[in-house]
Amino acid sequence: MTISEESDLKKGSSDNIVVEIQNLKKNFDDIKAVNDLSFKINKGEIFGLLGPNGAGKTTTIKMMIGLLKPTSGEIYVGGYNVRKDLNKIKELIGVCPQQAAIYKFLSGRENIELYGNLHAIDKKVLKERTDELLEAVDFTEQSKRKAKKYSGGMLRQINMLMALIGDPDILFLDEPTVGMDARVRRKTWEFIGSLKERGKTVVLTTHYIEEAEALSDHVAIIDFGELIDLGTPKGLMEKHNVEDLEKVFLKITGRRITEGL
Amino acid sequence: MNVQRTMALLKLELKKLIRDPTFLFSLILLPVILTLAFGLAMRDIPTDSNPDISIFDFMVPGIYGFTSVYIVMTVAMAFTDYRKEGLLDRINTTPTTSAEFMGSHVISNIIISILQVAIITVLALILGFRIRSTGFLLAFAFVGFLALSSVGFGLISATFAKSSGAAVGVSMIFFMPQMIFGTWIPMSDDTQVVAMFFPIYYSTNSIQMIFSGVPLTDITIWINLVVLAIYSIVIVIVGTLIFKRFGKA
Repeated sequence: MTISEESDLKKGSSDNIVVEIQNLKKNFDDIKAVNDLSFKINKGEIFGLLGPNGAGKTTTIKMMIGLLKPTSGEIYVGGYNVRKDLNKIKELIGVCPQQAAIYKFLSGRENIELYGNLHAIDKKVLKERTDELLEAVDFTEQSKRKAKKYSGGMLRQINMLMALIGDPDILFLDEPTVGMDARVRRKTWEFIGSLKERGKTVVLTTHYIEEAEALSDHVAIIDFGELIDLGTPKGLMEKHNVEDLEKVFLKITGRRITEGL
Repeated sequence: MNVQRTMALLKLELKKLIRDPTFLFSLILLPVILTLAFGLAMRDIPTDSNPDISIFDFMVPGIYGFTSVYIVMTVAMAFTDYRKEGLLDRINTTPTTSAEFMGSHVISNIIISILQVAIITVLALILGFRIRSTGFLLAFAFVGFLALSSVGFGLISATFAKSSGAAVGVSMIFFMPQMIFGTWIPMSDDTQVVAMFFPIYYSTNSIQMIFSGVPLTDITIWINLVVLAIYSIVIVIVGTLIFKRFGKA
């Protein structure tokens, strides 16, 4: 069943919504990894999921992309229900997992092209798009080398480009800049920002406060699997009368985001 | 089934064979070493039953079987590695279907198996191996199906192994009995009964018959082929279902 049949989209109140989560729960035995999470993500925005390690960010993302089944609740991505129309959702999304999932015996370019082929992109378009992506992050020369010779930061760059090769409408970036040095991280932020200009919707998990502030249009702060607060970074800071999101978290929970790291 | 996706995954597996030293050694160099070692040592020793047939002639079909069954280990290692490195999860987020993914693995391993047979045969012929039948090409069908069963056993092994090291250990459950009961070790009537529970028996037994000059009109060869085909298809389906249900996490 699609979102247009069942959710707010149908009701005409939020035509702009591309992801909707309703009362999402995930239990691992008696551990509540995600507990009654609900939020909506607008088309063309960067939506940050911010929280300490173990807050439930990756579990939430994994349920959104169909890798984990929710204990209860509903998820709609691009108008489709994850439980029922996962194959249609896979046509719309690109996923950059937290762990750089790359074939080490292939070069960076070959890894990107492999995923282009898995999205059945026309050969000519695939070559052009691969060139364009590699150029955008200054990776053209290094892309010819085998991935086993890459540094951690380089692997993460290729990891992200692999998610983009299918030209997805909705991107899930799970901690995309972990392990990158400051210079590459800044550059990656610029690149993620440019995706928004190209009309992409980006769901970004991070525990870097700076990253969430710099990139996100809306931020959902989660802890122990629960939504603590949701809003624009500026709005949240104004609401709690503090200067950054870390302090928002501190004010609400009594501890720092970095305490969980 | 999308051809572009299947071909991309097939090329990926074949590139791994060439570029990954572990797989290159296990799947290409090991058959070469075995053939050379057994060929040089046994080619001049006749069998007791027929002085015209050397022990090496008797062993060649067993070497085919050994290398095809070795695929159990390489498949088990590959899938545990792919799972550990998040590659299976990542592929699961693309439009790739299970049929395309598994199809590419099955086809690549059949290609590898046929390549192994070709290499072993050429080397064996150089070393004096004699084929006494025109039905030689049927050997490729037998090892092709045997490779299929190995993919299935490899998937079952990968389901229960948490690391590639453990995968080697678990896959021994399927590898060792087949090596003992279906390669070059002579069997009594009793052990032959046990051997019939393993797919390699049907392959090695038939290829030995073909190579020793038994005409292709012999019904045993065709019964063996049908039994092996059914056995292998069932095992690969069971392996896929078990891995899909229990082996992803």
